[in-house]
Amino acid sequence: MRQLWTMTASDLRQRVRDRSVFIFGLVVPLALMFVFNLTIGSTNDVALTPITVSVSVPAGDQLAATLVAALGQVDAFPITVDEVSADEAGARVRAGKAQLAVVVPDGFGEAVRQGRPAVVDVTEGNGSKIETQIALSVMQGVLDHLSASAVVVNAGVRSGVAQARLGALAEQAATVMPTVNLTEGKASSEQLSPSGALVAGQAGLFLLFTVGFGVLGLVAEREQGTMARLRSMPMRPGLIVAAKGLVSYILGVVATTVLLTVGSRFFDVSFGSPAAVAVLVLCAVAAATSLMFIIARVARTAEQANVAQSILALVLGVAGGAFFPLGATGLAGRVLDLNPIAAFTRGLGITSGGGGLADIGAPVAIMLGFAVFGLAVSRLVPDRGRDL
Amino acid sequence: MLVASDLVRRYGDLTAVDGVSFHIDPGETYGLLGPNGAGKTTTISIIAGLIPAHSGTVTVAGQPMGPREVDAKRSIGLVPQDLAIYPELSARENLAFFGRLQGMRGKPLTRRIDEVLDLIALSDRAKDATKEFSGGMKRRLNIGIGLLHAPTLLILDEPTVGVDPQSRNAILESVEALSGGGMAVLYTTHYMEEAERLCDRIAIIDSGRIQAEGTRGELITLTGGLDYIRLTGEGQIEAAATALRGLDAVVQVVADRRLLTLTVRDAPAAVAGVVTTATAAGMTLGEVEIVRPDLESVFLHLTGKALRD
Ligand SMILES: Nc1ncnc2c1ncn2[C@@H]1O[C@H](COP(=O)(O)OP(=O)(O)O)[C@@H](O)[C@H]1O
Ligand SMILES: [Mg+2]
Repeated sequence: MRQLWTMTASDLRQRVRDRSVFIFGLVVPLALMFVFNLTIGSTNDVALTPITVSVSVPAGDQLAATLVAALGQVDAFPITVDEVSADEAGARVRAGKAQLAVVVPDGFGEAVRQGRPAVVDVTEGNGSKIETQIALSVMQGVLDHLSASAVVVNAGVRSGVAQARLGALAEQAATVMPTVNLTEGKASSEQLSPSGALVAGQAGLFLLFTVGFGVLGLVAEREQGTMARLRSMPMRPGLIVAAKGLVSYILGVVATTVLLTVGSRFFDVSFGSPAAVAVLVLCAVAAATSLMFIIARVARTAEQANVAQSILALVLGVAGGAFFPLGATGLAGRVLDLNPIAAFTRGLGITSGGGGLADIGAPVAIMLGFAVFGLAVSRLVPDRGRDL
Repeated sequence: MLVASDLVRRYGDLTAVDGVSFHIDPGETYGLLGPNGAGKTTTISIIAGLIPAHSGTVTVAGQPMGPREVDAKRSIGLVPQDLAIYPELSARENLAFFGRLQGMRGKPLTRRIDEVLDLIALSDRAKDATKEFSGGMKRRLNIGIGLLHAPTLLILDEPTVGVDPQSRNAILESVEALSGGGMAVLYTTHYMEEAERLCDRIAIIDSGRIQAEGTRGELITLTGGLDYIRLTGEGQIEAAATALRGLDAVVQVVADRRLLTLTVRDAPAAVAGVVTTATAAGMTLGEVEIVRPDLESVFLHLTGKALRD
């Protein structure tokens, strides 16, 4: 144990002394946060103003009503919905009394139920504003959803399910549809504000660089010849590896904590429950550290190790939404979700939305699973540096 | 102190160490002399427990040695061929770090560090980061770390490679002092003079095998114990060769234009008679050279190759 601490302390002292861990672990990510935040800031500065939408809906068409109701769920700015006749709707826009007209045709619900194309007419006012675009994209989201259920209907007919039941299914699918809002559905940042996503993403990305200062030291020890001497010391060889892991872990936890703390102060982001955030940080650092063990086994030289580390950091960082939120569905989405950095930012999204320890089970499981997987792989791959 | 039996270590198709066996007694300095690539470092890496042998065993002070053995490693101090020091740390910090890993602490550690710094003449640079050291200073520190915990067996792998003559001499002197102090030493080198000067017994190693082993004198008798005298000159060279063949001390004479190479018993004693006889036969001598066999010629004799490439 004493030897473990001797090695860990000596490594930490050297890392502090050569300062690169400060630069790559703290200074660069903080600088990037500031730079990127400027670009986010400029879109945020646009104050969204209320708009009025005139709609015409066929009486008694439940699916059409759902479509319109979605507009009421936009909470970024108020949307006033006026129900009028089909002719009136367009006229109001032309008269400047409304910014958007939506005319849902007769038989819309029926068409969707039967899987036929249903067209919704839209008229935008002159000088259409960003708010109009938002309202449009909300409705587009609902329409996409409805046509998804239309596909269900078609497929069902071919496989011979009773027509009546399908109608019910289509309606059900449309009404249980999740609340549509603009920040929803991105793989990495469920409830993070743009600044929050930036801080979390950069912290996650640079974590993958910071942990390298510990474990990848194994490659450096091999290169600078000290590994031979360490192995001649009266201690188990596993202790050398354990000390490097501990160095990675300590550096990772410290750097991530500093980044999240400083980031949340400067960009006015709250990540929520400190206990839950702490658990997320501990798990994310474990996952990142385990990855370094694989690199340390495979790389012959420190240079190779650094290249491999940069590639992994960028791939996982980008896939985890370090630079922009990345959304994907289906298999790709599920693969993205297994990325520990994505799990980390998603977990922070949950905590910043008010979630506590009980709510972060999924991201924690992903990160710990990744840590175990990484360690197992690093045991299995042949150690290219074993012969010194 | 050390017993190595039948060590074998392969790298792919290459057998870097091929059945090496030897032992070192307490207080003895044992040399492994061989050219680059002979298998010295690989042998030492097995003995110090850095890498496993594919077969064979090593015991140090009666305890089995291997990569996962802890007890046997307490008895050894390793000075690797490649520098093994941390460039960011000072000399004192390097010593303290490895001293702690050896289980030393507190006052005894500090006192011992001072002693070693003194021994390797780095006391006045103890606080400087080693990346600012000259090659010779790094080499000295490299050795200092190996003997810090006063091991019973000190293993030095080519400690003088790439060192200026002055530092080299200092290193050789300190090794002599250490073995005089009762430490057993395993010393590898491709410099025959170092092996001759330092080692009680020497193994000549080539292609992963020990070709011969013994004291310097024992090894030299392997060549037959004969010396050479080389004569260069003008005049009656053929006649001189014939006359010289008649001398008792002369075993063989080879004539090659202006050069006569004589194989003789005890050249210093025979040289006067050789010169008189050659001159009397009508040869005008230019140069006379005595060549006595050394480990170099032993190596040549055993392997058909020169020690240095
Ligand atoms: N890690 C290694 N991988 C492959 N070959 C090696 C390795 N280490 C040494 N060798 C080979 O083994 C032979 C002996 O090397 P070494 O023990 O270093 O010789 P020496 O120390 O006498 O110069 C050489 O041919 C060398 O190329
Ligand atoms: Mg060598």
